[in-house]
Amino acid sequence: MEQPDWLAPTSLEEAIAMKARLGDAATVVAGGTFTAILVANGLAQPRAFVHLTQVPGLDRIEIGDELRIGALVTHRQVERSDAIRGSVWASVAECFGQVASPRIRNQATVGGVLCDADYASDPPTLLVALGARVRLKGQAGEREMLLADFIRDHYETALGADELLIEAIVPRPPSWVSYVKFRSRSSEDRPCVGVAVAADIDDAGRCRSLRVVVGAVSGRPQYFPHACEPAVGRPVTADVAVAIGRRYSELASTLSDVRGSSAYRTRIIAVLVRRSLEKLVA
Amino acid sequence: MRIQLRVNEQPVEMEARADETLLIALRRAGFRSARLTCGIGVCGACTVLVDDLPISSCLVLAPAAAGAAITTAEGMADDDPVARAFMEVNAFQCGYCTPGFVLTAKALLSEVPNPTDEEIRHALAGNLCRCGSYVKIAKAVRIAAASIR
Amino acid sequence: MTLDARITGRIEYAQDQAVEGMLHARILRSPHAHAKLVAINTAALPAGIVCLTRDDVADLEPLYGPMVKDQPIVARDRVRHVGDVVAAVAARTPREADEALDLIEVEYAELPGAFDPVEATGDSAPVIHEGLEFPPDLRPDGRNVCHRFRLRSGLGRDGFAGADVVVEETFTVAGAAHVPMEPHATLAYWADGRLHVITGTQTPFNVRRDLAALFRIPEDMIRVLVAPMGGSFGAKTFMRLEAVTAALARKAGRPVRTVLTRAEEFLTVNRHPARFHIKLGASKEGTFVAKSVDAWWDTGAYADCGPSVCTKGGYAAIGPYRIPNVAVDSRSVYTNRPPAGAFRGYAATQGVWASERATDLMADRLGIDPLELRVRNLLKDGDRFATGEVMKDVRFADCLKAAADAVSWSDGRTNKGIAVMLKGMQTPSRTGAALEIDADGRIVLRSATTDMGQRNEIAQRLLAASALGLSPGHVSVGPNDTDLVPFDTRTTSSRSTFMMSIAIRDAAADLRAKIADRLEIAPEDLVLDDKGAGAAGSPSRRLAFTALAGLRGDGSFVTPGGLDPDTGQGIASSHWHQAAAAAEVSVDSETGVVTIARLHTAVYAGNVVDRPGAELQNEGSTIFGIGTALLEGIVFDDGQVTNGNLSDYEIPSILDVPDFTYDLVEGGEHSHGLGEMAVPVVPAAIGNAVAAAGHLVRDLPMTAEKVVDAKAAR
Repeated sequence: MEQPDWLAPTSLEEAIAMKARLGDAATVVAGGTFTAILVANGLAQPRAFVHLTQVPGLDRIEIGDELRIGALVTHRQVERSDAIRGSVWASVAECFGQVASPRIRNQATVGGVLCDADYASDPPTLLVALGARVRLKGQAGEREMLLADFIRDHYETALGADELLIEAIVPRPPSWVSYVKFRSRSSEDRPCVGVAVAADIDDAGRCRSLRVVVGAVSGRPQYFPHACEPAVGRPVTADVAVAIGRRYSELASTLSDVRGSSAYRTRIIAVLVRRSLEKLVA
Repeated sequence: MRIQLRVNEQPVEMEARADETLLIALRRAGFRSARLTCGIGVCGACTVLVDDLPISSCLVLAPAAAGAAITTAEGMADDDPVARAFMEVNAFQCGYCTPGFVLTAKALLSEVPNPTDEEIRHALAGNLCRCGSYVKIAKAVRIAAASIR
Repeated sequence: MTLDARITGRIEYAQDQAVEGMLHARILRSPHAHAKLVAINTAALPAGIVCLTRDDVADLEPLYGPMVKDQPIVARDRVRHVGDVVAAVAARTPREADEALDLIEVEYAELPGAFDPVEATGDSAPVIHEGLEFPPDLRPDGRNVCHRFRLRSGLGRDGFAGADVVVEETFTVAGAAHVPMEPHATLAYWADGRLHVITGTQTPFNVRRDLAALFRIPEDMIRVLVAPMGGSFGAKTFMRLEAVTAALARKAGRPVRTVLTRAEEFLTVNRHPARFHIKLGASKEGTFVAKSVDAWWDTGAYADCGPSVCTKGGYAAIGPYRIPNVAVDSRSVYTNRPPAGAFRGYAATQGVWASERATDLMADRLGIDPLELRVRNLLKDGDRFATGEVMKDVRFADCLKAAADAVSWSDGRTNKGIAVMLKGMQTPSRTGAALEIDADGRIVLRSATTDMGQRNEIAQRLLAASALGLSPGHVSVGPNDTDLVPFDTRTTSSRSTFMMSIAIRDAAADLRAKIADRLEIAPEDLVLDDKGAGAAGSPSRRLAFTALAGLRGDGSFVTPGGLDPDTGQGIASSHWHQAAAAAEVSVDSETGVVTIARLHTAVYAGNVVDRPGAELQNEGSTIFGIGTALLEGIVFDDGQVTNGNLSDYEIPSILDVPDFTYDLVEGGEHSHGLGEMAVPVVPAAIGNAVAAAGHLVRDLPMTAEKVVDAKAAR
C-alpha cells in the first residue's frame, strides 16, 4: 500500500493551505494519541498527515481577563502550569489532570481533545460550563465560537475543512466551580458521567447564576438553563439540589456503553448533580 | 522515510513509514524493551521517555519523533538507582511491563524527588502489570527515591 | 551488580524469537459465529505470499484437542465462532501479511447460533459439532454437551428431606480474558527432517503429542522449545498457534512466526462463563445436611479442557465441608463463542463464588455467624470429602481464622465477608527431573517447568542446591527443550513447586548415590560442597565436580487418582490447595461503587522455597481476584465480543488495588504452589461483604450498576 505523505508545515498559513488543498484526505496530527490509534489499528488510512508541532505560536498559555490556551499545549502542561493552578482557573488544571495517565497527558493536546469530540472525555464538560470559546482560523480568516456550539455530536465539530483550532479561551469563572469525574469501573477509566458546576454566589450566599453541565453520557456536553433556574436568586438549598438533580436526570439524553447502561447513567446524573450542588448549600 | 533521532544518547537513523508507530520502528531497530500490548495507550508496556517525559510509543507516529531524544530501558546504566531498587525488592514477575514501570518511575523521581505514596500510585497508575507486582513496584519506587536523596 | 534482563528489557520472549529467513504470519478469522464455509478464493494474492487453507491440510489428521478431538487447524466446512481460523498467510513482513488478508475472498452461509450454555442443551438449539469421537471417560450426554460430570454421595438430592432449612439460588460468573501482556507467539520450522517449534506454552509435552498426532509423525521428530512468556495465566496451555504455524511453515518451506494482536487474544481463549444453581440444606443448629450443585459451563466452540473444568469446578462448589448428602451435575457445553480454557483459579473461581455466597445465605437464614457456620462444618483431618477421599494435612480452619482476625471479625461483621475454599491439583500427574554434572563441574537441572514469570528457575535452583547441600549459585537450569528435559505433565494447576520439589529431591538422592558409588563409599558418608565430593571422616577420598562430569541423577514423582465421571468417587486431588479470604468494604448505595477497606488472604503454603516468589505469587493472585470481583467480564453480543480491547475490558491498575495483607500459612511436609490460591476466595469474600452491606449480588463481576440493582432487588 502506498505510503501517506508526512507534511510538517512551519507556519500557520502553510498548515491551513495544506489542509485546504488536501481536504478529507489529510489528517491533522498534534499530540497524535487519537490519530495513532486509528491509523495503527487500520481504522483510518489518510493520504497525508499534517503535523503541527513545528507551527509556532500554538503552545502558549496566557492569563489576562481570560485564559487562553494554545492548541498544542498538552494536558500535562495545563495540569502542571503554576500560572493556571495559582489563578481563578485552577479548576481547569485539575480537570485536565484527571484525563487518562500522566503518559497520555504528556502527549494529548488541548486542540486535540476539543477537535476529536470524543464523548467519553472530561475537559469539554467543564469548559462548556465555563462558557469557553474556541478560536478557529481558516483561509477566510479567524472566527470564534462557543465550545458548546463547536462540539456537535460524536466526533463531529463545526471545524471547517480548511480551518484549524488555534486556541481555547476560557472567560473568568464565577465564584464557584466544580468538576466531578464519576468512574464506574477502574481508576484508569474514562468518565461514565462528568458533572461540571459553575455558580456565582454573592456575598450574602445567594446564587446569582448557575450552569450545570453533564458530559460523557451522549454525543456532546448537555446544559439545561431552565433546569438551573430554580437555584437563581436565593441560596442553594438541599431541596433545590435534589430537584435540579432530578430534572437533569429527566432531561439528559444518555447512551449505553461498557461503563454503564443508559438507565444507570440517568440514575447517576441525579445523584452526582445533587451531590455537586449540595456543596453549595450553606 | 528516513528518520533521524537519538536513542539512549546515540544517534540513530531509522526507516519507517509515515503511518507506522514509533514503537514498531524502535522494535525493528532493536530496541525491544518497548513492547506492544494494548496498542491504544492504556497499558504502558511501550513506554519510552521523549526528552525525559514518558510517552506511549504506540501512540506516536514514527516521523513525529524525528529529532527527539529517546530513552529506552536498554539505555539504563547498571548503577541506575531505580533499576537497582526494582532488583533489590524483586519488583517484577514476567518482566514484560517492567521497563515501562522503571522508566515511568524515573520520570516521576526526576520531577518529584520525594514523592508521597499517593503520588507514586498516581504516577504509576497508567502502567499495567497483569502478574500483579504492584505492591513491590511501589516499594521499589520508595526505595529508589530514598537512595537518590 | 548486573541488571536483570527483565529490567533492561533484553530478555527474549516467545514473540522475540527469530531465525534466518523467517516469514511473518497473520490469521484470517471468521466474522460469523456459525456459518458454512462455502468457498475460499485466494487467486488475488500476489506471488510470494504463502496461504494456508483447508486444501493444504487434507493429508493431515483432521482434528486436534487436549480432551476431545474437535478442532481443525483451519476451518474445513464450517466456522463455529467469531474469530475461528479460516486461513493463514505468511509474508516477508507483518504489513504484507496484513494486506494479504484483505485479498482473500470467503463465501459463508450463515447458520443459527447457540450463545447460552443452558439454551444450547435444548432440543431447538443448533448442533455445533457432528460425528465427534469422544474418549471413553467423557460423558457427552445431551445436545452440545461435551462432558457431564456427576457426583453422588450419601442420599444425593434425597438428602434434603433431612434438612430443617434449605436455601437455593442461581449465581453466574462472566467470561474473562487472561490478558497476558505478551500475546500468544510461536515460531516453527522444519529442518533435518524434524519439526522445531519455539513457543510460549505451559504445556510443551501436550503440544508435542498433539502435533505428532496431527502431522502423523513420531513424537521424537518434534522438538518443542519453550521461550519465556510475558505472562500466561492459563492462556498458553495446550495447542494454540503451534499447529497452524507448523502447517504454514511446512507449506512455505521456511520458518514462520505468528504473533497475535490484542484483539485476537479475546477470540482465541477465555475463561468459562458459568451458571450455577446451588441448593444447601442444614439442620436448624447449623449442621450441613445436603447440597446440590447444578452447573453449566460455556466452553465455547471447542472443548479444549472444558470437561476437566466442569469436573474440577463441580467438586470445588461443594466446598471444604462435611456434607453427608451431595449431588453434583456439572456440564461443559459447546456454544458459538470463542473457546474457553484454563484460567488462573481454574474452575474454582466460579465454583467458590457460587458455593460461598450460598453459605452466607444459609448463615443469614439461620442467624448464625458466617464464620461460625463455616468452622462448624469444615472438613478435618480424617474426614471423607464427597468424593470419598480421606482428607489429610487439613488447614482450612487455620486459614479461615487468620483471615477473619485480620478484619477484626469478632468486633462486628458490618460490611465484612469471608470465604474459604478447596481447590484440586492436576491429578493424576507425573513429573521428572534430572541433575547433571557438566564439563565445568556445574550442576545443571533438567526441568520442563515453563517460565511465565513465576520465578520457577529460582525456586528449583534453591530446591536442587538444598537437596545436594550446595550453594544455589552452583546450580543452573538447562534450556527448556523437549529433547533435553524429562517428561512433565505440564506447568499448570499450581502443581510445579509441589511436584518438582519431590522429583528434584529424588534426582538429588540418585545423583548422590552415583557420586558415592564413584567414590566407593556409602551414600550416607558422602559430603558435598561447592568444590566437589568427599567422604565423611576420610579427607583423602575426594573428587572435584569436574572429575564427576557426565554423572546424572534422575528423579520422578507420580500421583495416581482421578474421579469416576458418573459417581464422582475416587481421588480428586493428590493434595489440596487450601485458602481463605476476608474483606471489609464500603458501598456507595446510590452509585453502587464498592471500595475495599480491608482485604486479607490466608493461604496454605507449606514450606516456602523462595519467599519473594511466594509473596509475588500470592500478591498477584489476590490482585487477579480483585479484577474478577469488580472489573472483569467479557461482554458478548451473541457470538461477538464487544469489549475486546484494554480500554473496554479493564484489568486492575495500581490504584484499583487497596492495601491488602496476607498470611502464608506454613507447616507440613511439602511445598505448595501459590499461584492460584487467592483468586477464588477474594471475589467470594468481597461478594459476601457487599451482601453484608445490603446488596445481594449474585453475578460476577460486581460492577457498580449490578451492585445498585442488587440493592433495588432486595
